[in-house]
Amino acid sequence: MTTFNRLSIIGLLAVLILGTAVSCKPAPDPIPEFDKASLLVNIADNQIMPALDDFDAKIGTLETDYLVFQANPNATTFETARNSWKDAYISWQTVKIYDFGPIRDYALKGATGTFPTDTTKINNNIASGSYTLGTAANVDAVGLPSLDYLFYRNDALSTLMNSSNAMQYGLDVIQKMKTEIASVNSQWTSYRGTFIASTGTETTSSFSEFVNEFNRDYELAKNAKVGIPIGKQSLDIALPEYIEARYSGISLDLLEASVVGLKNAYTGGTGVGFDDYLLHLERSDLNNSIIANFDGILAKIGTFNGTLEEEIQNNWSELNDLYTLLQGQVVYLKTDMTSAFGVLITYQDNDGD
Amino acid sequence: MLFGVLRFISKGWVYQLYIEPEYFFGYLGFEWVKPLDGNFMYLPFILMVIAALGILLGAFYRFSAFLFFICFTYVELLDKSNYLNHYYFVSLMNFLMILVPAHRRFSIDSWINPNIRQKTTEQWHIGILKFQLAVVYIFAGIAKLNSDWLFEAQPLGTWLQAHHNIPIVGGLMQEKWLAFAFSWTGCIYDLFIVFFLLSNRFRPYAYFFVIFFHLVTWYLFPIGVFPWVMIFSTLIFFHEEKHQKFLHWLERLFNKERPAKTLITKPRSTSAAMRYFLIVFIAAQLLIPFRYVLYPGDLFWNEEGFRFSWRVMLIHKEGYATFYLHDKATGRESEINNAKFLTQTQEDQMATQPDMILQYARILKEHYDGKTLHYGDYKFKIEDPAIYARIYVSLNGRPSQLFVDKKQDLASLPYNLKHRDWVEPFQP
Repeated sequence: MTTFNRLSIIGLLAVLILGTAVSCKPAPDPIPEFDKASLLVNIADNQIMPALDDFDAKIGTLETDYLVFQANPNATTFETARNSWKDAYISWQTVKIYDFGPIRDYALKGATGTFPTDTTKINNNIASGSYTLGTAANVDAVGLPSLDYLFYRNDALSTLMNSSNAMQYGLDVIQKMKTEIASVNSQWTSYRGTFIASTGTETTSSFSEFVNEFNRDYELAKNAKVGIPIGKQSLDIALPEYIEARYSGISLDLLEASVVGLKNAYTGGTGVGFDDYLLHLERSDLNNSIIANFDGILAKIGTFNGTLEEEIQNNWSELNDLYTLLQGQVVYLKTDMTSAFGVLITYQDNDGD
Repeated sequence: MLFGVLRFISKGWVYQLYIEPEYFFGYLGFEWVKPLDGNFMYLPFILMVIAALGILLGAFYRFSAFLFFICFTYVELLDKSNYLNHYYFVSLMNFLMILVPAHRRFSIDSWINPNIRQKTTEQWHIGILKFQLAVVYIFAGIAKLNSDWLFEAQPLGTWLQAHHNIPIVGGLMQEKWLAFAFSWTGCIYDLFIVFFLLSNRFRPYAYFFVIFFHLVTWYLFPIGVFPWVMIFSTLIFFHEEKHQKFLHWLERLFNKERPAKTLITKPRSTSAAMRYFLIVFIAAQLLIPFRYVLYPGDLFWNEEGFRFSWRVMLIHKEGYATFYLHDKATGRESEINNAKFLTQTQEDQMATQPDMILQYARILKEHYDGKTLHYGDYKFKIEDPAIYARIYVSLNGRPSQLFVDKKQDLASLPYNLKHRDWVEPFQP
């Protein structure tokens, strides 16, 4: 009995040592060092905070230009305000990716970007002249999409000039956004420390949240900006009423800005990003595929000359091809990349096994 | 158990897992097990708290044990998205506890009715619990004897490197040799720990390993209460004298007279029916984990015969599933927004498990069949639609592969225990 036990212990140790030794044997090529903490620092300092500053400034310009227009309403001042709105909307495409921390706390994503906007609600609010824009019910009557309607509907300029209520509604929407982005921006300065320190693997860690929200925003862009309007969820029946920024027709510009923002979130710009993590994990093939897909998608978007609504009517199959490209990338991002990182795509803690 | 249930309630999981979802993935043959309406779903959990207290204090023991078993198993049978080996383990242990008279001493029952007080118990009462633990460990060990685990150190390699920011030892977590050391140690531990626990000589050292091993897993992986369950359960391997000493100490706390030393006796007073039942139970426990040999193809990929087999932490699967509603009359197609039907957890689990994919296809068909859909000016009455899916899955860090292709109407396929040949073959 004891002899057997001793023998078995020696046997086990031998197997253990052998196992480790065998696995150590092939000297691998030096793998680039990687540290999640430096990724978080780079994303915070070179992506998120500059994006918040930029959006903050663009909303500030929008407010200034709108006040000028309000004081002196004419086609020129209106055009300036419209262009500032467009710049702010483009800038927003990057901010919305990072829906965690203060951005989530202030529910900025819903309050700023919910579309399609509810024109009936907006008109009712304007007619009554009394409204609380911050309520959940008004989430699709505020934000940048509501201005798309106010600024670009038929006879937008004359309607605004003839209705002080409508003019005021536009200002209230802008000033609401201004207050919110200012709060989020200042909160982020103090949140930064929390963000870069949270390097664990739990679902509430910064890295997990970033990966999850990155994926969520990518899918949202794919479905809401392209899929739903072209009819992917409605038996191939196009639904133009679901087009983002339908009145101004800048949908494809917004889509492009969104994909560029997502690509930068992926690469971390010139700094440390998901791409570096994948290289560290010896998954350069996957990284190459992802980069190539991003570039392919952007090139495809560049081939459209009309508005999304026009392209749906005249060029549906090309849009369908674009959608297929967007869809193909999800597999790489959500399945391959996420599983390589060892991050759970989940919004809920669990008992595991 | 008490702690586990309270933790479950306090984390809001009752709501997330059993009240919020609109659809549930029942087990084949147990689809009739349905959740209670709304907040009534808290009822079985409250009963479990009471029952767990009853078991702990030895109050109305058999009834408490039965109640806990029924409630716990009921909850587990509701939705296989929440299947965990350790929940299965708790169910089995509880079932065994109904059979075992663990209230004969130092309990409220024996205080109420001193006639049932016993200093002795039958050998099988302890033996069967040891057996159950041995099954868990040894089968978990056998399951680790596969090439991913031993020669790729997967999925541990992926999980460990994610920890590279923990203090002091974080840098080691990215080292491949560490993943191999963990994999091999884990495998050897599972295979042999029971034998060391059974040996008088090595038991104290073995128990030290038990504590150490489970604490490490508790620290590194999100496995909830399981490590603690195992640390306390394995105490049963200690000699009865040790348990007697502890019991005496407890009894002295309550100012009882010091009882005489007693040992386990071995009378064969167990009924024949119980003996046959135990034989069947043991045989089932030994055979069920091996049922996978009846299926062709890759076990980790197809997951046929995967559950109830102590395959713990063996696979890291990530899937992306797109389902299509196909109108046969017009040939038109819609992509399904899975979030409209499933919770995130359900969607994640479904995307990689063929039986759940089939169940989901049936849920979708039932939802759409006979419905009239309005899109703008268009109206479609959907009759007998087909449900297709295109699913990609990544297994243990490999690049993703096609798991299910848009070839077959999934809703028309039979849902049974036969081999599922509609899953694309695994390319290693």
